[in-house]
Amino acid sequence: MWIVFANAKKRKARLVMTVAGIAIGVATLFALLASSAGIQRGLEREIGGLGAHILLLPVGCPYTLTLALMQGTDTLTYIPQNRLTDVRAVSNVRLAAPVVVGRVRVNDEMTPLYGATDEILHLKRWGIPRLDGAVVGSDAASRLGLSVGSRITLSFYAQREMDVIRVLPQTGGRDDTFVFVPLEIAQSVLALADEVSAVLVQTENVDRVTQTRQTLGRLAHLQAVPPSEVFDMLVGLFGSMASTLMLITGVAIVVGVLTTMNTMTMAVYERRTEIGLLRAVGATRGDVFRLFVAESLWVSLVAGVLGVGVGYAVTQLLPRTTGFGLSAAPHFSPSYIGICLLVAAGVGSVAAVYPAWMAARMEPIQALRAL
Amino acid sequence: MRIELHNVSKAYGRGQGRFWALRNVSLTVGNGTHLAIVGPSGSGKSTLLHLLGCLDVPTEGEVVLDGVFRASLSDREVSLIRRTRMGFVFQQYYLNDSMTALQNVLLPLELARVADRRSKAIEALRWVGLEHKLGALPSQMSGGEQQRVAIARAVARRPALVLADEPTGNLDSENGNKVLEVLHALRDERGTGLVLVTHDDRVAARATHVVRVRDGRLE
Repeated sequence: MWIVFANAKKRKARLVMTVAGIAIGVATLFALLASSAGIQRGLEREIGGLGAHILLLPVGCPYTLTLALMQGTDTLTYIPQNRLTDVRAVSNVRLAAPVVVGRVRVNDEMTPLYGATDEILHLKRWGIPRLDGAVVGSDAASRLGLSVGSRITLSFYAQREMDVIRVLPQTGGRDDTFVFVPLEIAQSVLALADEVSAVLVQTENVDRVTQTRQTLGRLAHLQAVPPSEVFDMLVGLFGSMASTLMLITGVAIVVGVLTTMNTMTMAVYERRTEIGLLRAVGATRGDVFRLFVAESLWVSLVAGVLGVGVGYAVTQLLPRTTGFGLSAAPHFSPSYIGICLLVAAGVGSVAAVYPAWMAARMEPIQALRAL
Repeated sequence: MRIELHNVSKAYGRGQGRFWALRNVSLTVGNGTHLAIVGPSGSGKSTLLHLLGCLDVPTEGEVVLDGVFRASLSDREVSLIRRTRMGFVFQQYYLNDSMTALQNVLLPLELARVADRRSKAIEALRWVGLEHKLGALPSQMSGGEQQRVAIARAVARRPALVLADEPTGNLDSENGNKVLEVLHALRDERGTGLVLVTHDDRVAARATHVVRVRDGRLE
């Protein structure tokens, strides 16, 4: 190994440039893997956080409406509240929790508001028997300076006051930003008499969700959407963006391979004398081949480690939310480091094969005469 | 180690530009022989040495290594013969300038994965009088010292034959004499065969056998 290190020291500027070329590709790959996984996990958490087997939404684009529900923005279309009776009458519906969402002023600061009945307590584990006050997400509490017992003023179309009964622990999801209040309070402030933004449905028998969804979907003025379908669509949407970025990363990696191959080929020409000497002292063609591959592999692995570090740093600079306001905190897994190091090693190995082969087939005296 | 050349010729280039560096040479280098190859510049001395050392292949004729036709050996087998039985010293030293003296000497031992290679490399450097320069880079040594490192590299594995191509060609007389002393000690103290290319008759005078090359032919 020391022979590899000694040779690498020889041309420091070139070494730095080669390492940088590979490291950039690896850093991009690492950042992309961590970001994509972060977005996917964020979506999983948000949609899982709804706590429903089926979402009943007003008529309209189900994905836009689901995103609005998760972000706490006005859905702009609504479900008549009287549909709840029909919903609850459907076989296999164990629980139907109506919710209202919208942005209102809370103590004069625009904040996402989430109105719900006590049924929401079966879906979200808040540790309170009744929703008879304001439950505040951790970020909202911190931003608005609220704690249990604080008095808040909600205002938009109407104004209402109430006490904070619970501050939720941090979840890392959108719930952290909401202020949850009883349904009628939210309806009053948002001027939504007898209308709700959505209904979260839990079923008795999860195996019969598809049938229940079909039955619910036949009810007028609403559509029944399984959260998994929304999740798959959103993951697909982000996935297609990630695929495009992955393609660009792939191109960067191929460029890395070609750059390294070019550098190694030049190095073989420049080091003909050294190769000749190696052959003179008894190195076989295989020894020379292995030496060049080992050098390239070592450089690539150094670049890989550096690339993972840079990629990690880059992910720290990326925005923590997507354009939809959903959490996009990067997720790190040891497997990403493994993948990146494998890619780097692959770059090094593939790039070295041709130059190493060229070096190995040089006749000793031809190589020595190069001086 | 015994090397025989039978009617060996070596040409470079093709067609009209073909140039015969060596023509119809027959020569035997026996065990422990001290042979000097002399002749003017461009006469084919180095080509002859390269053929003896299996660094090059003849265009015509046969090279026989310890009774085995070189042409019947694979490239790997020839490499292993160079590794285990031969040592080379060149006019330009060919030291790796990013390696210390010790590392340069270690290089062939490392390739051969010899046991106790570090101590063998140090012993070789001590033998050429450079035990105090183990950590020195070539740029920190004189030409004579660099050539002695190259000799240490050639002899560290205690080869049967050392082939030296104008080893004093780049050195002043004082350093040249030191290098020659080391090479002669190799023959006298270890019984190692020595083939020395030189155009200096005084150097050749110390050899047991001398061959003169002129225009690619032995005189």
